[in-house]
Formats: sequence, structure tokens, C-alpha cells
Amino acid sequence: MNRRIHAALLLVLGTTTAMAGTIEMKVYGLVCGFCAQGIEKTLRKNPATADVLVSLEHQLVAVATRDGQDISDAELTRALTDSGYDVKAIDRTQRSLEEIRAGFGKAAK
Amino acid sequence: MNLFRPALVPVALALTCVMANAKPIAFSNGTTVMAEYGAGTMKEAQVFYAPRYFLSLGGGYLELESDVDHRRREIVYGRVNYLVKRWNMKEAQANIFAWGGLGQAYVSETNDHEVAWNAGGQIDYETRRVYSSFRTELHEAANFSHRIDTWQLGIAPYEHDFDSLATWFVVQGRNTTGGISEGIEWALLLRLFKRGAWVEAGFTEDGKLQAMAMVNF
Repeated sequence: MNRRIHAALLLVLGTTTAMAGTIEMKVYGLVCGFCAQGIEKTLRKNPATADVLVSLEHQLVAVATRDGQDISDAELTRALTDSGYDVKAIDRTQRSLEEIRAGFGKAAK
Repeated sequence: MNLFRPALVPVALALTCVMANAKPIAFSNGTTVMAEYGAGTMKEAQVFYAPRYFLSLGGGYLELESDVDHRRREIVYGRVNYLVKRWNMKEAQANIFAWGGLGQAYVSETNDHEVAWNAGGQIDYETRRVYSSFRTELHEAANFSHRIDTWQLGIAPYEHDFDSLATWFVVQGRNTTGGISEGIEWALLLRLFKRGAWVEAGFTEDGKLQAMAMVNF
């Protein structure tokens, strides 16, 4: 019985850990910050969103989610499509938005 | 100033471009407020709300004052803007917009107000270094018909990103028919924008001020 409870706890913790983090999306059509602000505005409305990073240079929209929360691919795709952009790929990573920004700097060098 | 005109005509036409104007729809659930001063012949203010990324509703005020004679129009209108088609590419975006509306116009020759309607469209292509657009719009009432065609070609000296200031040098050509102006009016503009704020200003070849300010929120 204890093993089952332990296994269940591990599963829940594992799932939670997997859900926390950053969602990185490759987005086409990102050429103008003036227009792309709609993406940030839409994503920030989601209660699971902790922070948003938009990079026109890397065609990237990254969402840091709150601990234990996630946004489904369907929801993300809908948010981006409803903003007028095309989502090409969605990846879940453990990189923070700061690490992503730092990576941009290194890539530039 | 006339020296730059012959060289720019084929460039502008070859690129089929555009603009003078920003996109008539900014983003879903966004409000756009815009004011433009066009070289003494045109003053315009607009407010639009976009319930969806492909649709916006709102209205505006357009004042046209002839530099040929004394005719003047003061047009108040409601308008619907629609994004007909968008192409999202890896490092570029292109759009086709169309719009139409109805309103009331003051006509100086008759010193009276008339029902007026308007329709127009815009095609644009944009990367982070090049912007081009062509916009055409028709304003008509019983006693006037004016078509305003605007071409814009913009070059950015550097590639801006989402949080940084965007700087563009823009060449604009504008032709307003129906006795408002004679020939194409060319202007050189400096455009700056960051997030939701946009300002641009410059001068026509006759040294007249051309300026626009816009906010999205």
C-alpha cells in the first residue's frame, strides 16, 4: 500500500515538474514589434502564464508557466492563430527566459 | 528636392509598394488611435477596435483641403476593416486589407452636408529591414469623388526586436484626385516605434510637414 502511495506521489511530482518550465514556440510572421504586442497581451491573460518573451530575430515566442501549471498545445496554437500568426513548433523546456535571452547574446557573438 | 523624384518613381513602382499607413487592424482585442497631418491638404483622425485579428470597427474624421483652389471636405465616417489574406513567412509578412464605410461630408462649394461613403484597400509586404505598401481609398458623395493613393517604401538601418526601438526611413508618394492636389506628392519620413507607440514625421518635396502618430493598446 505504501509503495502505491509512494509511486502515486512520484507520478504527481514528476508530472508537476514536467509541467513547470518554459514553452518555446517557433512562430512565422513575426516581423514587427508594434504588431506582435498582441501576442504578448493575449498570452499574459492566461492564468498559467508567469512571463512572456518575444524575439522577432529568432521567430520565437516563449512562455514561462507558473509552478505546477501548463498551457495545452491546442490552447497555445489557438492564442497565436487568433493573434494572426502561424505556429510552426512547440517545445517544452526547462530553460528560463533569462537563459534563453542569454543564449541570444552568445549566438550573436 | 525635385531631384529625388525621377529616381524614386521606378523604384516605388517596381516594388509595387506602399504605404504611408500602418495596418488598419493591429491585433485582436486591440484599440488603435491614429492622427495624421498630410502636407496641408489632409488631416485625419481614426479610432478602431479589433474584436478579432482580421476585423476592426470604428470611425474617423477626414479633412481634405485643396491646394489647387478653395474646395474643402470635412468627412465623418464609420468604417469596417477586414483582413482579406495574410501570408506569414519565416522572416516576412504580407497582407491584403479591404474596408468600407458610410458617413457624412461637408462640401464647401455647396456649403451643405451630404451622405458620403468610402471604400479602400491595402497590400503590404514587410520584413525587419524592408517595408512596402500600396493603399488606395475612395471617398464619394453626390458632389465629389476623391481617390487617395499612397505608396510607401521603408528601409530600416538595423533590425529591431520586440523590446527595442524600431527606426525606419520611409519614402512616401501620395496622389489625391478630384482637385485636392496636383500630381504625386512625395515625402521623406522618419518613422519610430516601440511596442504600442508609433510616430513618424517628415517633409514633402515642397517642404510641407507630413506627420502621423498612432498608439495601440
